[in-house]
Amino acid sequence: MGQVAITLNVNGRNQTTLAEPREILADVLRDRLGLTGTHLGCEHGVCGACTVLLDGEMVRSCLLFAVQAQGSEVTTIEGLEQDGELHPMQKAFSEYHGLQCGFCTPGMILAGVDLLKRNPDPTADEVRDDMGGNICRCTGYQKIVESVLGAAREMNEVTS
Amino acid sequence: MKPAAFEYHAPESVDDAAGLLSSHEDAKVLAGGQSLVPMMSFRLARPARIVDINGIADLDYIRYEGGALQIGATARQTAVEDSSEVAAQAPLLVAATGHVGHRAIRNRGTLAGSVAHNDPASEYPAVLMALGASVTAVSSAGSRVLSVEDLVSGHFLSTALGPDELITEVSVPAQSGGHGFAEFARRHGDFAVAGAAAVVTMNGTGVASASITAFGGTSPARLDEAEAALVGSDGGSEAVAEAAASATAQFPSTDDIHGSADYRRALIDVLTRQALQQAIAQAQEV
Amino acid sequence: MTTTQWIGARAPRREDPALIRGRGRYVADINLPGTLHMAILRSPYGHARINSIDASEARAADGVHMVITPDDIPDHVTEFPVIWRLPGQKDSGTPALAQGKVRYVGEPVAAVVAESRYLAEDALDGIDVDYEPLDAVTDCEAALEEGATVINEDWGDNVAIHHVFAGYNALGVCGYEPEVFDNADEIVRGRLTIGRHSGIPLETRGIVADWDEIHGRLTVHSESQVASLFRTELAASLGLPETAVRVLTPNMGGGFGNKWDRYPEDLLVSIASMELGKPVKWIGDRREGLMATVHGRAQVQEWEMALQSDGTILGLRGKVINDLGAHLHSVGIGPAWVTGAAAPNQYKITNYYCDVIAAATNKTPSSTFRGFGGPEGIFGAERMMDKAAKHLGMDPAELRRMNMIQPDEFPWFNAAGAVYDSGNFPACLDKALEAADYDRLRAEQAELREQGICRGIGIASYIHVSGFGPSPILGYLSYYTGGYEGSTVKVDPNGKATVYTGMIPMGQGTETTLAQVAAHHLGIDMDDVRVVWGDTDQTPYTGFGSAGSRSNVAAVAVIRAIDEIKAKAVRIGAGMLEADAEDLEYADGMVSVKGAEEMRSVSLAQVAQQAYWAHALPEGDQPFLEATYVYDPPNFTTASGCHLVVLDVDINTGKITFRNYVVVDDCGPVINPLLVEGQIHGGVAQALGGALLEEFVYDEDGQLLTTSFMDYLLPSFTDVPEMEIHHVVTPSPHTDGGFKGMGEAGTFPPGAAVANAVSDALSHLGVEADELPITPSRLWGLIQEATG
Repeated sequence: MGQVAITLNVNGRNQTTLAEPREILADVLRDRLGLTGTHLGCEHGVCGACTVLLDGEMVRSCLLFAVQAQGSEVTTIEGLEQDGELHPMQKAFSEYHGLQCGFCTPGMILAGVDLLKRNPDPTADEVRDDMGGNICRCTGYQKIVESVLGAAREMNEVTS
Repeated sequence: MKPAAFEYHAPESVDDAAGLLSSHEDAKVLAGGQSLVPMMSFRLARPARIVDINGIADLDYIRYEGGALQIGATARQTAVEDSSEVAAQAPLLVAATGHVGHRAIRNRGTLAGSVAHNDPASEYPAVLMALGASVTAVSSAGSRVLSVEDLVSGHFLSTALGPDELITEVSVPAQSGGHGFAEFARRHGDFAVAGAAAVVTMNGTGVASASITAFGGTSPARLDEAEAALVGSDGGSEAVAEAAASATAQFPSTDDIHGSADYRRALIDVLTRQALQQAIAQAQEV
Repeated sequence: MTTTQWIGARAPRREDPALIRGRGRYVADINLPGTLHMAILRSPYGHARINSIDASEARAADGVHMVITPDDIPDHVTEFPVIWRLPGQKDSGTPALAQGKVRYVGEPVAAVVAESRYLAEDALDGIDVDYEPLDAVTDCEAALEEGATVINEDWGDNVAIHHVFAGYNALGVCGYEPEVFDNADEIVRGRLTIGRHSGIPLETRGIVADWDEIHGRLTVHSESQVASLFRTELAASLGLPETAVRVLTPNMGGGFGNKWDRYPEDLLVSIASMELGKPVKWIGDRREGLMATVHGRAQVQEWEMALQSDGTILGLRGKVINDLGAHLHSVGIGPAWVTGAAAPNQYKITNYYCDVIAAATNKTPSSTFRGFGGPEGIFGAERMMDKAAKHLGMDPAELRRMNMIQPDEFPWFNAAGAVYDSGNFPACLDKALEAADYDRLRAEQAELREQGICRGIGIASYIHVSGFGPSPILGYLSYYTGGYEGSTVKVDPNGKATVYTGMIPMGQGTETTLAQVAAHHLGIDMDDVRVVWGDTDQTPYTGFGSAGSRSNVAAVAVIRAIDEIKAKAVRIGAGMLEADAEDLEYADGMVSVKGAEEMRSVSLAQVAQQAYWAHALPEGDQPFLEATYVYDPPNFTTASGCHLVVLDVDINTGKITFRNYVVVDDCGPVINPLLVEGQIHGGVAQALGGALLEEFVYDEDGQLLTTSFMDYLLPSFTDVPEMEIHHVVTPSPHTDGGFKGMGEAGTFPPGAAVANAVSDALSHLGVEADELPITPSRLWGLIQEATG
């Protein structure tokens, strides 16, 4: 089957690659654009490891053909650091031990970022409800919740 | 788990999309893709052609006009969830949307696509049925309107749509009365083991009208026997229990790995009761 | 931090900076030039004869470089062996492809190597296999019946082994007295079932093999938790000298024991790479992760407990049937053996007997999974304790307390041969009761029940015999590998250190932990310690490799190597300071004259410089400042603790809602509290999955019904309660630092604690939750049965 040219704005840069229409966005990010921070844990939309932001909103990059993202902005974990400065969510995950093996972490961090955009000051229960679509097999979630709450405090302090 | 190859089409108009569907066998409409893509990755679905309707201008809308919400085929579920118009005119739809997958899924998933897919564990077909919603289906031969009830009843992972038809719009009449929604899922955000939805209106003496549906395991169903049991009653706990018992008897509960048929019946009883209690309490406030 | 007291510090993890940026490198991220991709055709049947395989269409398909059927496997390639071979155990092994018949859904039948994974999967359609379905055996008890279909014909029956724990302790004393069970005041019986589930690391298995024809070297990028042993076995199976194989381990997205085993794909990618002369990569997808990575835990247990009417336990005996799956995998029936060894738990049970029977079934092989049989043993012991308490009308906490081994009774020789080195079991129990405010909970429970709320309190105490390992004991158990850990520590000419370990980090922070231990003992900053892992060309051999509870063993190897370095530093320092070595001491990274530390001392860097210049080394000392120590522990260490869970049961739906979860843990002195908490949280969450959600379900034909995450349910945020963790610290008397293994213990008691709490919540109905997972549907069924 023929390949098509796909242009995406990935982490602020336009990139064009050839890919078959059947290639899912995660595969194109990982294998054609070299952005291996987006992980594949289930390839059927349940685990959340492949979460990226598509035009600013979190989506599963395993449930989207790359060709569908033609012309869109994609933010992956690699794009979260700005001018050498980590996103507060990234810092909080390390500070509160919100990660162990790190495999779910990119998706988890992006889901946390997306949550705080919609709800800048969530309760622990709200974090648990909202992030329930991301699976972690290592942490038992408690320290991820603490990480997201910690990032929220940090971000609210900066903005207030 | 990589999808088989397909020919990809991205029509720019509904006419073109309908043309593609009618001129090719084994073509599948791609809207949100949150059910279709994983089925393709498992190679449980191997359509030869994908007709991606996301590029069609003017299918991504939610409007309220003529006493009904009109929801375009590519309107995302989060748009439904966040819409003040939907919250005002069909709050049941908003209540149910929170149970559809997770936010990341709803950011892509569409209301119309969910109905067209008609997964037995999915919330929307039953909820839209309870709201008396209908869809507009278009093919190159023309368009028709059919009720969601006619679209999904008796179907399992399929609908009454022809292979050459696509849904362009879901139309939801403004909800009158109170609503209730209850479901039981193994985990938050999972497909439901069972669920129930209800819309109830009250008059001075009791329940004036009721629309009750249930889902889970099998084709979603309108529970007219439960409705009949409730209408004309005082809406008290006995009447609710009686309606729930009717619902349980009428709903064709089945077995699967998440629950036995007996267990589903017990859930339908509990959930119908919860949904009716919520709906009646709300209807009484109005 | 300027401190050198690194042990006990909540040091941030050095693994994190890469991982939070998405810069970790997992095996799927390794893309060597010219890589080809493998997809595997797997059995769709639980049990079927393979009459023929025609792969001609696949061989001709687009982008296909190679198809491997059994006929394409070179004759000299052998199966991976079972390394735990108990006397009387049937012969078995892990072949690259099914031989003549398939024995479980997911068993590899053929493999395709193509230019992309997409093309490789396409070509699988071009392999035509003629299967002749056979009767499947899916129930482990039915498998043992006379006339049952035999899965492995050369075995003659489905019994992989019948091993007997006849009541002997490690001193050879037998405490089993069958007549006690005839004459005891009280006999309590239980039949328990544990569902099949597994570790399910979020990262599936994967491997890249890269054959260098010119140098005759196979470089394998693997996620084996035990890279050295993997290298030994891979070389042997491929007929290569061991020096021809190099195993590199990238970041691992969780292992949980599942990645300890050797697998068919390890052979298949190697065969393909050697044949094609190109790198070959296989990354398992989730479906493969669920059907073709080892399962675990599945057991049926029957127990009989004899008691005096005052609650004193007089004996425990039972039978453990392990639903083994199609064949013995890398560790044989190891986990089921551990179940039998662990079941006496914290109690003074000397009268003990247990039959352990492993039954072959047409299911995925069951093997290594975090906890390794221990959680199953604790489930048996702790359910029986609650049943006994209920039978006697005693408080379950009180019954436990009165039967516990006391702090002054160590070492304790349990009646299954395990030696407990230390612990304070009553203190753990009491701390849990106090933290949960047990008396108030009991009072509230009665009130709530009147309001129709079914609240249950579940206690489960546990021991975890961890740090698997004195090698002679492994030998005694016919476990064909060593139990040691080696470490090389090198101090460079600038006084900074590098630690080389054979341990494979899986996410538990091994690198941070070992850096902490090394920095602490060298008295230098943690940033001045580098840890090298994941390359068999550089790191010491380990027979056991990484398991969640091995850091304690590896830590001692580091400490002992550093002791040698410090002794040499003192010898060199003596020359530099013109003092006698006996008058010197090493502390905080300095060699100093005792009592004159301010005036007369030299730094580790100064000493190291001398060690490398070698201008004036003490007689007999060689240049460099480095040492290797291989530590073979003199005994296992015994971690222990107690969990207490409070939950509500909705009797109309079978839904369980957590109200409180208290953990009291004794893993000895804690190296890094942050990491220990993380390990406990994760262990509990994983065990709660097996207690409530996770189960591999097979139909009667051996078809696996749970091949996606929609059907095999992992716990998510709202399924795991907030936990409160407390510590009791009893150091292991025989290891440096007193550390005990802790990475697995969190998985031990939750199943029992939850089942006890559910049974407690429904005690007025007589419901006993004896089958895991306690799904809502299953629990609702029990409630219906009880209420009729």
